[in-house]
Amino acid sequence: MSALNSLPILLIVLPVAAAIAILLGAAPKKTALLATAANLLLTLWLVFGYDQAAAGYQFTSATLLAPEWKLSFALGVDGLSLLLLLLTALVAFAAVWIAPRPEKLERYPSLYYACLLFIVAGATGAFASLDLFFFYAFHELALIPTFLLIGIWGSGDRITAAWKITIYLALGSFVLLIGLLALYLSLPADVRTFSIPGLQALALQGGVIPQTPWIYLTLLLGFGILISLFPFHTWAPQAYASAPAPAAMLHAGVLKKFGLYGLLRVALPLMPQAAQHWTNLLLCLLVGNILYVGLVTIAQKRLDTMLGYSSVMHMGYIFLGIAAFNPLGLTGAAMLLFAHGLSIAALFAIAGVVRERTGSLEFAKLGGLAKPMPFLGFTFGLAAFAAIGLPGFANFASELPIFFGAFSHAGKGLAFSNFQAAGIVALWGVVISAVYMLRGYRAAFMGEAPKRWAALPDLCGCLRPPILLLLAVLLITGFRPQLLIHLVTPTIKAVLAVPAP
Amino acid sequence: MQNLPWIILFTPLLSAVLIVLFTQRWRNLSALISIAAVFVSAAASIVLFRTLPDSTTAFQLPWLDFSALGIGFQVPIGITIDGLSKAMLLVVTCIGALIHLYSWAYMADDEGKSRYFAGLSFFMFSMLGIVFANNFLMMFIFWELVGVSSFILIGHWFYRPAPPAAANKAFICNRLGDFGFMLGILLVWTATQSVDFEVIKAKLPELAANPAFLPFATAAAICLFCGTVGKSAQFPLHVWLPDAMEGPTPVSALIHAATMVAAGVYMLVRVYFIISISPAAMEVIAVIGTITAVLAALMATQQDDIKRVLAYSTLSQLGYMVMAVGVASRDGAMFHLFTHAFFKALLFLGAGSVILACHHEQNIWKMGGLWKKQPITLLTFAAATLALMGVYGFSGFYSKDAILIAASEHHPWIFYAGLFTAFLTAFYMTRLFVVVFFGKARTEAAGHAHESPAVMLIPLVLLAIPSVVAGYHGVIANFLPTPAHEAASNVPYIASGLGLLGIALGFLLYRGQEKDPIRIPLLANKFYFDEFYALLIWNTQDLLARISGFIDRWILDTALVRGLSSGTWGFGFALRFIQCGNLQAYALLFGAGVVALFYFILFYK
Amino acid sequence: MVTLNDYLLVSGLLFALGLAGVLLRRNILIIFMALELMLNAANLSLVAFSRFGTVSGLPNYNGQMLVFFIITVAAAEVAVGLAIIVALYRARQTTNVEDLNSLKF
Repeated sequence: MSALNSLPILLIVLPVAAAIAILLGAAPKKTALLATAANLLLTLWLVFGYDQAAAGYQFTSATLLAPEWKLSFALGVDGLSLLLLLLTALVAFAAVWIAPRPEKLERYPSLYYACLLFIVAGATGAFASLDLFFFYAFHELALIPTFLLIGIWGSGDRITAAWKITIYLALGSFVLLIGLLALYLSLPADVRTFSIPGLQALALQGGVIPQTPWIYLTLLLGFGILISLFPFHTWAPQAYASAPAPAAMLHAGVLKKFGLYGLLRVALPLMPQAAQHWTNLLLCLLVGNILYVGLVTIAQKRLDTMLGYSSVMHMGYIFLGIAAFNPLGLTGAAMLLFAHGLSIAALFAIAGVVRERTGSLEFAKLGGLAKPMPFLGFTFGLAAFAAIGLPGFANFASELPIFFGAFSHAGKGLAFSNFQAAGIVALWGVVISAVYMLRGYRAAFMGEAPKRWAALPDLCGCLRPPILLLLAVLLITGFRPQLLIHLVTPTIKAVLAVPAP
Repeated sequence: MQNLPWIILFTPLLSAVLIVLFTQRWRNLSALISIAAVFVSAAASIVLFRTLPDSTTAFQLPWLDFSALGIGFQVPIGITIDGLSKAMLLVVTCIGALIHLYSWAYMADDEGKSRYFAGLSFFMFSMLGIVFANNFLMMFIFWELVGVSSFILIGHWFYRPAPPAAANKAFICNRLGDFGFMLGILLVWTATQSVDFEVIKAKLPELAANPAFLPFATAAAICLFCGTVGKSAQFPLHVWLPDAMEGPTPVSALIHAATMVAAGVYMLVRVYFIISISPAAMEVIAVIGTITAVLAALMATQQDDIKRVLAYSTLSQLGYMVMAVGVASRDGAMFHLFTHAFFKALLFLGAGSVILACHHEQNIWKMGGLWKKQPITLLTFAAATLALMGVYGFSGFYSKDAILIAASEHHPWIFYAGLFTAFLTAFYMTRLFVVVFFGKARTEAAGHAHESPAVMLIPLVLLAIPSVVAGYHGVIANFLPTPAHEAASNVPYIASGLGLLGIALGFLLYRGQEKDPIRIPLLANKFYFDEFYALLIWNTQDLLARISGFIDRWILDTALVRGLSSGTWGFGFALRFIQCGNLQAYALLFGAGVVALFYFILFYK
Repeated sequence: MVTLNDYLLVSGLLFALGLAGVLLRRNILIIFMALELMLNAANLSLVAFSRFGTVSGLPNYNGQMLVFFIITVAAAEVAVGLAIIVALYRARQTTNVEDLNSLKF
């Protein structure tokens, strides 16, 4: 095992160590920023060190913990997890940078930063784990600091929101756990393993993993609740509206992607035939995500809940790519994971700054903010256009393959297939998202500014880099989407390689 | 030479990026960068026009490529060089260059000058992308980008109430059209497995041989046409264009008259090989174009805002072009697009000169008597007006006749509608011209008006030349294929006669008037389209949104989610009462439980 | 001849008496004694089963072993239980269970 193989462990240990150091009295913001910056650099090292030609899992390490269950602490990365690790590192770095200075926090500043770092550690661990048990456990680890962040430093009805998200997600995780255990127990006793590569090898043999529909449904619903799949989405907007901006960035941008990552990593490659069983159900639910939640988003009267609902809505596109289950759809879904994470993080970051300045995010009280705060107006515009899929940003480059993936399923004769019908609804969703984003942008940033906002200061130069970083990555990957496609291609190939029975 | 198209395409983008990143603070420097960039593009375009041979694949940059996954889905940024794109290229860059120059003076004191020029450069980049596109998705990409640059520029004065609303309206109307456009692209792709124009063109004859393909082709063609309806502001999505006049006047000239709105027509001509398969789709296109032409001309007769009159006139002329495509005269459509770009840009720039002279007054009834004070503006504006009316000897005459002749061969009603529009055009332009330039000054501001600076007049003069000569056979033949003229046609005489009638009527009615002698509320209120749409949106989308919001808030969240959690809590609350604190009661319950357990184990099968 | 049924009958009666005592008496000491009665009812039936459930002529000693266990555990339980009762009496000055009802919501 070379030293490079311990890089993924380092990625998890660094934020945890920094969090402990902060709790023990280190300067909170500096330490956290240092740790996340180091994480970002290490992740970039991983991305560039990853051998594209060899594909598969690299930088692997494993420590056997329970031989009788074949349970080991195994870490490793492939293209898809690298993409998500990069997302985690980027958003974490931006979130910590944009977080308020410790002296500005009313309560427990060290704990605040420690919580942020624990979320980072949890998300990183979940994306780097090659073992089902730790994959699950790391995600649970990240839920606790989320609860604390919303409950202690949130705004509005923060206690309710904190309990709601925690209980809802714990319930979802529980459903997921049932699914994972059922999957484990449905395997023949001699090949049972928690190892994800091991399971994938079994799947490749074909016929070893029983394709039980209800187990896949349990996995789908379990992961679905974590991703705010319609109709299990009502936890998201309220929680994001109440959460402090860095927590909303980390959760909406990164942690929520765990469920989709799980679908792509575990559920789909292991049970592709069982997945076919529920395709129509998934299509119905994702139409709910896009059309129904899209309309709900239009009806919102506050910027933060609007952003929360919009992030729920955009999950529908990723589900469409997953439902399409072909190279175009899956690649688009994987790319959109990344792109959406960055754009929603940027939006929440800016909304957080606006709330800090104005004390409210109700559209009725805002207006004309771009005049006193041109930088925020400009960047919010960019991020909003990115979120609604403007070409040039990665979101468009990801949504495009999803649409084409959905339309690849031709119907009989002149009739549309279910996929194409869902694809048309998704296209209509693009119009809906333009309606709510532009209405929101106009209500908050344009028009005549009320006098009381005239003297608001723009974002100071020292807090601009994180927002610019997120937008720059979106633009770079939007101009060169091949960077993302290149990274995830081997993984998508592996997902699709599972033979039919 | 090999980099020529890339220089043309990316110089404006580079300028926009430079301005946004570095020179925002130095407004004049930003303007200079932008102007320099567009002149580089224009010069390179002229070189390209003269030197590069036609090709569709010589210049390609990869953008999306799924060949690694074994899928033939590739979207390059590729450059088409053919007669169509070359002519369009010249129109866009040359008019663009003049309008950039004009903006230097027009926006001289604007505090958002850097933002304005960045937007203008970004628009040039996007528009050139549409012109160059060699595949559907590249066209769609730049199609969206012109939409957003139009959004930025319409909303330039974002701190006023009206411009942001107009910008939103424009963008959302465009998105509506793009919904259809994308659907059309997807349909074409499902049939041909390609988005590349040349590949599709090669595959279509084989597919079209199958009669079952016709309904599919009709659906695809109509969906593609939706893109035009949005971008070129055709009925029923025409409502955004008049509102877009909230933007600065040079923007209206460049984007909402000469280039972007014509992109819809350009796209139709580009994909003519698809839409021409389906006669039904062609019929739809012709009818929509005709309706737009007539409706917009009617609305134009009763507008009081100088820019809005011109906006409705643009709508009407775009309707002409779309109608021309619909009646299978794509040469006529491109011809009119070409001439219209010059004289309509000139009209808007002239209007800008007038507006600036009258201290940002746009109501024509508050102008008047400007002929003495603005002679050059008057002359150039007159040239453009005559061209728009289609008076013999001016460019519009030739292109409009080409369309009318094609229409007369196609269907009499479309032809009559076209003639009626020509009459109305002459009428409302006379009205505008007479009220603005003649009579006596009706306000203080108009009385003190004076001629605009030279930087603004040079573009006017330079645009006046093609406005006159662009239609001459000797000129146009260098750029575009001209429609075959039937020498014996009497259409030009009828059209000219009607045009003269319109001019005469306009003169008689409006000469020396202080206020509008005729008031037709239906026309002045644009057939109440805006009100109708507002009502429609309120009763459909917004109603659904409110219902969904209600369901989400009260049924899903409160009744189901909160219900579940309150139910759990309530169940626990009820169970609390068993906990009475009496030891013997617990013992009794315990005993009863044991007895019940034994009963079930022993006797319950 | 005394049969197994007779033993079991007595054991059942003892158990029922004990249960009735636990449920009906109010003095916690009496309840405690009734509890012991129930344990001894169980002991009686175990010894009876041991005596009658012969395995190849020998009694089944498992039952008798279990009785020793119960006696031992009961002794320990009495020690702890009485200690708790004494402590309770010191705290509350009562041995009436109806007065000891603070363990509720």
